[in-house]
This record gives sequence, structure tokens and C-alpha cells, in this order.
Amino acid sequence: MKNAVPDEILLQVEKPARYIGRETNMVIKDPNAVDIRFAFCFPDVYEVGMSCLGLQILYYFLNRREDTYCERAFAPWMDLEKFMVEENIPAFTLETQSPLKDFDFVGFTLQYELCYTNVLNMLHLAGIPLWAKDRTEEDPIIICGGSCAYNPEPLAAFVDVFYLGEGEVLYDQMLERYKQYKKAGKTKAEYLESLLDWDGLYLPKYYDVSYHPDGTICAVTPNHPKARPVIKKVVVTDMDQVFYPEKQLVPLMDVIHNRVTLELFRGCIRGCRFCQAGFVYRPVREKTVPTLLRQAESLVATSGHEEISLISLATSDYRCFSQLADGLLQRFSKDEVSLSLPSLRIDAFSLDLMQKVQEVRKSSLTFAAEAGSQRLRDVINKNITEEDIKRGCAMAFRGGWNKVKLYFMLGLPTETAEDLKAIGDLTEQIVGEYFALPKQERPRALTVTASASCFVPKPFTPFQWDAQQTYEEFEERAQLAKKSIQSKQVRFTYHNTKMSSLEGVLARGDRRVAQVIYGAWKRGCRFDSWGEWFFWDKWMEAFAEAGLTVEFYANRQRPYDEVLPWDHISVGVSRRFLQNEREKALRAETTPNCRESCSYCGAKCFGGGVCYE
Amino acid sequence: MSDYRFRYEKGDELKFLGHLDMMVAFQRALKRAKLPIAFSQGFNPHQLLHFASPLPLGYTTKGDYGDMRLKEELPAQQVRLRLNEELPEGLRVLQMTSLAPGAKNAMAALAAGEYEVILPQFAEMDFPGLAQAFFAQDQILEEKKTKKGMVLADIRPDLLALRGEMGPDGPKLWMQVAMGSTRNLRADVVVKALCHFGGVAFSPLVGHYTRLEMYQLEEGHLTPLGGKETRDDAPFAF
Repeated sequence: MKNAVPDEILLQVEKPARYIGRETNMVIKDPNAVDIRFAFCFPDVYEVGMSCLGLQILYYFLNRREDTYCERAFAPWMDLEKFMVEENIPAFTLETQSPLKDFDFVGFTLQYELCYTNVLNMLHLAGIPLWAKDRTEEDPIIICGGSCAYNPEPLAAFVDVFYLGEGEVLYDQMLERYKQYKKAGKTKAEYLESLLDWDGLYLPKYYDVSYHPDGTICAVTPNHPKARPVIKKVVVTDMDQVFYPEKQLVPLMDVIHNRVTLELFRGCIRGCRFCQAGFVYRPVREKTVPTLLRQAESLVATSGHEEISLISLATSDYRCFSQLADGLLQRFSKDEVSLSLPSLRIDAFSLDLMQKVQEVRKSSLTFAAEAGSQRLRDVINKNITEEDIKRGCAMAFRGGWNKVKLYFMLGLPTETAEDLKAIGDLTEQIVGEYFALPKQERPRALTVTASASCFVPKPFTPFQWDAQQTYEEFEERAQLAKKSIQSKQVRFTYHNTKMSSLEGVLARGDRRVAQVIYGAWKRGCRFDSWGEWFFWDKWMEAFAEAGLTVEFYANRQRPYDEVLPWDHISVGVSRRFLQNEREKALRAETTPNCRESCSYCGAKCFGGGVCYE
Repeated sequence: MSDYRFRYEKGDELKFLGHLDMMVAFQRALKRAKLPIAFSQGFNPHQLLHFASPLPLGYTTKGDYGDMRLKEELPAQQVRLRLNEELPEGLRVLQMTSLAPGAKNAMAALAAGEYEVILPQFAEMDFPGLAQAFFAQDQILEEKKTKKGMVLADIRPDLLALRGEMGPDGPKLWMQVAMGSTRNLRADVVVKALCHFGGVAFSPLVGHYTRLEMYQLEEGHLTPLGGKETRDDAPFAF
């Protein structure tokens, strides 16, 4: 099979292995012998996309069907893009190196807002008209899923179908029908219309949006008798029965995560009020230990990886965590396979476990404190206390760790100068814990990294109505936090404030924001999440051209009675619950987690998971 | 403990895979093949798997070498077949031999390499004659990349043998050059010098480079790193 990109070009670009496919466990089929060709696109570079678990699952899920060939495509890096434009090389898939235009479906997974210009750019490089209205029967169907699809509106004008929820639920019936329609000689337009039969699929063209004179939304109205007023996400209920790949694509080149991933559960019981994942993936649904051990066995054997990563939104919340960890250690430690345990709550048990799994290399310990003061942590319902952090650190220092990372957020609702000062106080206390230990009991050379992101209010969270700080305010807050830190052992870093501001617009934007994304793309914006390619000025020009402002979308407090751009989408969590959570937040009142007591968020409607434990 | 030396090829399929990534591909294939690879001691145990010399990006090879150590002794042929089952398409072990205890490792033993380069830019010339005249020079000055940057050096002493022929794929340059830690000459540097000599523009993007063999020095003779048959089709002095 010949590469889409000629050798002399591959020799001139960075990391050419990004573009050649041929990875271990890549699925090989004859594209002429299948009924449906599906291009799974990740709108970022190969190394990022190949670390995405959703891609690994859906790739094998779709390819388990004999009638379908799912291939992958990634955004070409800037150097290759230049050649592709000059030499007329259309965007291509890795498996058969075919142009995206030859596919029945071109699907994008939307994992973060700053990849939206890459979606447009990949369509453009593929020679597919960007705007859905300009596409014909000759063009592929453009489908988008992933966490950002829950507010589909900013991309609505470019996309035919948004898939809301977990891919394992609907794709079989969608593809089955597509095959039928294709064989019966029906059109893609007819097929798309028929998708209105099912919940979980949002087809923007069947909805009209009207606006008030002040720019807020008046109504989102279905314009087709079968279009539902509210589209509800679809989720898997039985995590032990659901398909999980027995093997994983093993990249030949170094990617972000070189390991097999074991998914312990979906959803999160915690309900931290800033966290979109904590609401949109409800309810919590676990896999059982035997299922996980079986999956680990096969993934390790077929990949040759030396690390198993246990992933979920909060690993310590897995009910049989110690049983699972023991089982994995017993099985794999003799084979030089190690465990990686992200998102662990730091306590005696987890430290002991980390000692066991990472006997030699002491990586840094991470605490997601999110806010400096207890008051603000209560506002966001982050139930980790200063005591927890201090005790965890002291134990870690005694255990030989000398690197601690703390995550904070700037600009959370109700944040004051006091709260920012508390970031410094907390880091000082940690340094204090270190020096309180006798010299022979602590490791040498402590480093504490306090890393601050800028708060971005997200749809389907209690803060979905809240005003985001402007980037100037973020800068001031970052300086205040920085000034509050005294010790030379503490390093403070913070996220690009303008990038966060843009994320704020794209996350809560409406359909009109499409013009801004288009304008920015036309001006050369792509890879916006990569610092060196982020051009704020070009985005500002695009806003001006579209007659829209950052303030309107990001920095404005929205009243409860305003129609939000995503109000016609349901993730199962009720608006009333979110509003109540926001009121509690303002009173710094916490909400118990799902296992302590049910707070009646609405996710019980899915008929499974923690709601029925 | 048992040591093995293997000769492998890397085809067009994977010529854009860098050396480090290729090593990782071998490591993972060994794991998948459930071969009892031995690990180093120390803080960061790693597989005892070493390669004689990196292959430049874009080159293919039919004769590169590596060494590895297994925790138990298995028939070399079985190790080769099991490994080939798991290697990605484009990488294949051609030969696997047990290594005598105390043998020099491939990296240390390496003394020379043999290459074949298809060079379409010489299609209009008497290529064999040009190559002959080029090789007949006493001194060949060409820019070489060294640790101190680009340096003009006489590459002739490291050019052990060279000839040109017109093959079915066009002009083909065959050469043997010094390789290893003390003396090392890259095939593309020779091609660059030949281009300058023949008045043809050099481009690193033109030409299909294939490494054919790696040699060690044994009693004054170059023999393939894989041992066994000493090749006498290339009688030349080192």
C-alpha cells in the first residue's frame, strides 16, 4: 500500500511516522469489499489522538462489523499541511491512505473546544465543503461526538449529525440502516431524515433558532414533525456486557501515553460543580473485577506494552479498587508490567499501593485542590480538605516522594483576594510539613509545583450561567496568587489566559459563533491549543467581522430564565438540579456524593449504575 | 542466560520510522512473542537489546544487526520465528545465531557497512565510468557533519570500495564504507561528493538508500557481523 504523501515530502516533515499507519493491531480490510466506510477523525496531531481511549474503543467496535471499515485520520501538522496544499494531497486516512472524501461517514471526536478550527481545516484539506448546507449527495456525512458535542451549537452549521452519548449504543442500528438505504438507492438526505427516529442524535438542520433583540436566544424550534424538542443522550447500562476491545492499536512512534488503558467505570459520584465530565457522564457505572482482569490480560498480551493505566474520573472511587489492584499486581509484576494510577485520592492506602507499583521511580504526587481556601472548595463541592492534603503530603514525604503538584483554578465564582492568598498559605503549609520531618526521614530537594488553570464555566454544570473572568482579570488573579507564594521550593505556573477566554466562548457559544470559528480558520488559525499557533488577534478580528463579542458569550452573567444554546439537549441531569446546586454553591454548601445519598439530579432515568446500587 | 545476534531488514513500509521508535517496536514484539528477554539491573531496568548502529531516516536495510540476551536458552531458529510473528510489517529478522560467551557486542565490533543507492539523477551519464574516476582519486574533500558541526574532510580513507552500474532501476551505486565509533562515513556524504564530482546537483531527497551488510574486522579481514560465511566477493584492504 502506497503512502498518500510521497517519500520526498515525508523526508522533510517532522515525525513522518505520524502519517504512515501500519501500527500493531491496525485493522486491515479491503475497502471495496465493505458496504460502509467510516473515517474516524481526531482533530489534533497523531500523538494526541492515539492516546484517546474513545478512539481505541470505537475503532474496534465499528471494525467488528464485517460490513464496515473504520479507518483513522489525524490533523496533519503545519509542516505537512503546507505541502498538502502545494501538492494537492487531500486529507487521508492511515489504513488505506484514502482521501476522506471517499468515505460514507467522516466522524470527528470533539474532546476540547480549541480543536474546532482543526475540524474545519481537515474538512477543507479533504475537499469537503465546510458548511453542511453546501454539501451534496457526493459528500460524506459529517458526524461529531465526544464531550464537546453536548453543546453542539458552535459547530452546528458544519455538521450533519451530533451523536450525544456513548458510541456503543446506537452505531450498530445507524450503520445497519445506512446499508439498507444505500442498497435501496435512497439518498443521504433521506437517511439523515430517518435518524430523527432515534433519541441521542441531534440533526441541527431540523431546528431553527430565533433571537431576542439583545442577542439572547428566543427559542430553538424543531422544523420537522419528527424532530424531538429535547434530544437526550444515550448511555450503556451494563458495563460488563458492553463491547470492549481485546486489543489496542499500538503506535510505532512515541505518543503521549504509551500504555494499555483499562476503563474502570464511567461517570463520577463526586459532583464537583465546575466539572463538566462529572455531570455529562452520569450515572456512575462500574465494571466488575473479573471483567477488568480478563481485559487486562488480553490487552497486555496483544500490545507488548509495559504499563497498564487504570483510568476513570476518580480511580479511588472504584468500589473494589484494592481487590483489583492486588489482582493486577499479582498477575503482572513478574512480567515487568507496571500500573499507572492517575486520579487517585492520596491517602495511606493509595500511597502504600503506589509504593508497591512504582518501587523504583518516584513520580510526582498530584493533588487537585482546585481552590486555596476551604470556603471556596465548598463552593465548588470539592471535598478535599486542607487536612487531607497536609496529611497526604506528610505521608508521601516519609515514603520518599519529593515532588508535589497542586492544581488550582483561578476565577472561580465568588473568589476573593483572600482565596487567592490561601493558595500561597496552602503551599507554605506543605513546605512546612516537609521541614517538620527530621532530616533523615525526608527525601532531599523538595519541589512543589502550584499550577493554576483559568476557570471556564461549562454547559451542564451548576456554573453554566456564570460570568467568566476576562483575561485581564485572570492575569491580575494569577499575579495575586503568585505573590502569595513565599518559599523558593514552590514554583507557580498558570495557563494561557487568552486561550481560556476563547475556550469560554466556544464552550457556551450558540450557532452564530460558527461565523467566528470560520473567520478565525480563514485567517490561518488551527492548532489553537498549541501555544505557538494560538493567535488571539486573528480571533478578535474574526469576532469583529461576525459582529460578536467575547463579553456576550463568556463574561456575562446569564439569568436563570435565559434560553441557553444547549437547552434542547439533555444529559439526564435536570436544569432544576443544576440551578439548586448553584444556589448551594453561593452559600458554600456542599452536596454529598452519589454513594452517600442521592441528590435526585435526574440521571436515574437511564435505568442503571450507581442510582440502583 | 543466552546471547543472540540477529540480522534484520527494514523495508520501505517502515523507512520513516526513526531508530528509537524502531527499537521500541522490537521491544514490544519481544513482549508479545513472550520471549524471556533479560532485563538490566538498576533503577530503570530495560530489556537487554542493543543495535549495532542507527539507520538514517528514509533508508531501508537488508543487513542491520542487533544483540539480545534471553533469560533461558532457546533454539535460535525458534526465537527468530516467534519474533517475526510479532514484528510489524516492514521489520523482519533474517538470521539469528547464538553468540559465543565473551564475544564483542555488535556495536563495538562494527567496522564497516555496505550500501546500494539508486540515483536517478545520473541517468544521462556514463555512470560506471564516473564512479570509477571518482574512486580513483587520492583525496576526496567533502563536508561532513561532526560533533563540531559541518567540517570539510578527506573522506577517501573511509571509502573502502565503490563502483557504479546501470541497473534495471537506473544508475546504482555500490559502496563499502567505514562504520563505527572511531571511523564513520555516511552513504549520503559519499553521494554528495559524487554529485559534486560529476557536476550534478545533490539533494538529500533524491535517491533510494539501502544498507546491505554490516562488517566486523577479524584478523585483518572484514567479515559480516553475523559471522559464518566470510564473504570474499569484496577483496579490499581496510
